[in-house]
Amino acid sequence: MPKINMPKKSPSLDMTPMVDLAFLLVTFFMLTTKFRPEEPVIVDTPSSISEIKLPERDIMMITIDKDGRIFFDIDGKQTRANLIEKMGERYEVKFTPEEVKRFSVLSSFGVPMANMKQLLNAKEKERETINKETKGIPADSLKNELADWINFGRHANPKFRIAIKGDGQANYPVVKDVIKTLQGQKVNKFNLITNLEEAPKN
Amino acid sequence: MSEIQQSDSGGGDKKHSKVRAKKSSTHIDMTPMVDLAFLLLTFFMLTTTFSKPKTMEINMPVKPDKPEEEQKIKESQALTILLSANNKIVWYTGLGDDPAKPPVTNTADFSLNGPRGIHKVILEKNQDIFTKVQLTKDSIGRGLLKEDEGKKHIASYKGFKDGLVVLIKPDSTAKYKNVVDILDEMNVCAVGRFAIVDITESEKELLKISN
Repeated sequence: MPKINMPKKSPSLDMTPMVDLAFLLVTFFMLTTKFRPEEPVIVDTPSSISEIKLPERDIMMITIDKDGRIFFDIDGKQTRANLIEKMGERYEVKFTPEEVKRFSVLSSFGVPMANMKQLLNAKEKERETINKETKGIPADSLKNELADWINFGRHANPKFRIAIKGDGQANYPVVKDVIKTLQGQKVNKFNLITNLEEAPKN
Repeated sequence: MSEIQQSDSGGGDKKHSKVRAKKSSTHIDMTPMVDLAFLLLTFFMLTTTFSKPKTMEINMPVKPDKPEEEQKIKESQALTILLSANNKIVWYTGLGDDPAKPPVTNTADFSLNGPRGIHKVILEKNQDIFTKVQLTKDSIGRGLLKEDEGKKHIASYKGFKDGLVVLIKPDSTAKYKNVVDILDEMNVCAVGRFAIVDITESEKELLKISN
């Protein structure tokens, strides 16, 4: 009788290609992920059905929290460094290179120029209290620092899009001030950041 | 998943009394590593997709240098919406700038299907354009119309010169959320022509009366 020799196969599976692939993907996602930068205030944006995504680069972000305080944020380290120097000249505040460097890596900020030095030299804990107590960037008609921030920011890079991230509970007059400021700078096109909401069906 | 070591791999050497270094398998159990890799993979995949905010684009009308250049809106095509505290909406048709004829005001709320929802009011007034836009969107969805062509059609419907013009007038107590909700309603109801306008004194009175 002919013997049937079953080929002896190891039950183990070569997992190497799978692991390779998994790590490739891990690396890809790790490198492409951009973590949300730490924000000084928590903002609960209203929702809309709009599905337009915010562009990833060249964004000037104006944040309005629920107490109506205005914060400002702009992309790009180099842009930020140039911006703070220009603002320093405009408001006659001298910044040391160390302070300029700190500003360039800061995220959103909401202090008047008079307190900017204090914010830059503050430690992390102190910065939190400053952010809690600050009145935001002045944007009323008497003293409109926001207009200067936007103006100099747009000079640095005209491609910048302006996004307004407002808390749903913010009072409208503050938003109106911001929009007026923008229109004063001949910015008539901007984005409002919202959460996604499902469109009603009818 | 783990490896099973073949028991007969070194069995033949037992006869020899020579002391030999134990032949260990070259396989390493990769399971924990794979677990970790997939855990990280899942984590990064989820965090990337969820952190993208959505935006609503709005174009404010450009302020003309001379006031004479401002576009005049016909009384018949205007719908004025006043926004106030506590999600209150007061609306009337027309511009309401004629002091001899005070506008007839109605109150409304933000509910979608409620009896006094603002959605119904806008939709009713904008029914023609809304239907056209909806049909165009349908035919894009079914592939009957190219997307960019369809968008052109939609833009031309929305820009119809004699269509509805909505004037949004939030008062000083209105919340930002209400404004966004109304702007959103403009998108839902396919209203192409709308503007956020400052509230006038007489309209503040109207808001007070309708309390």
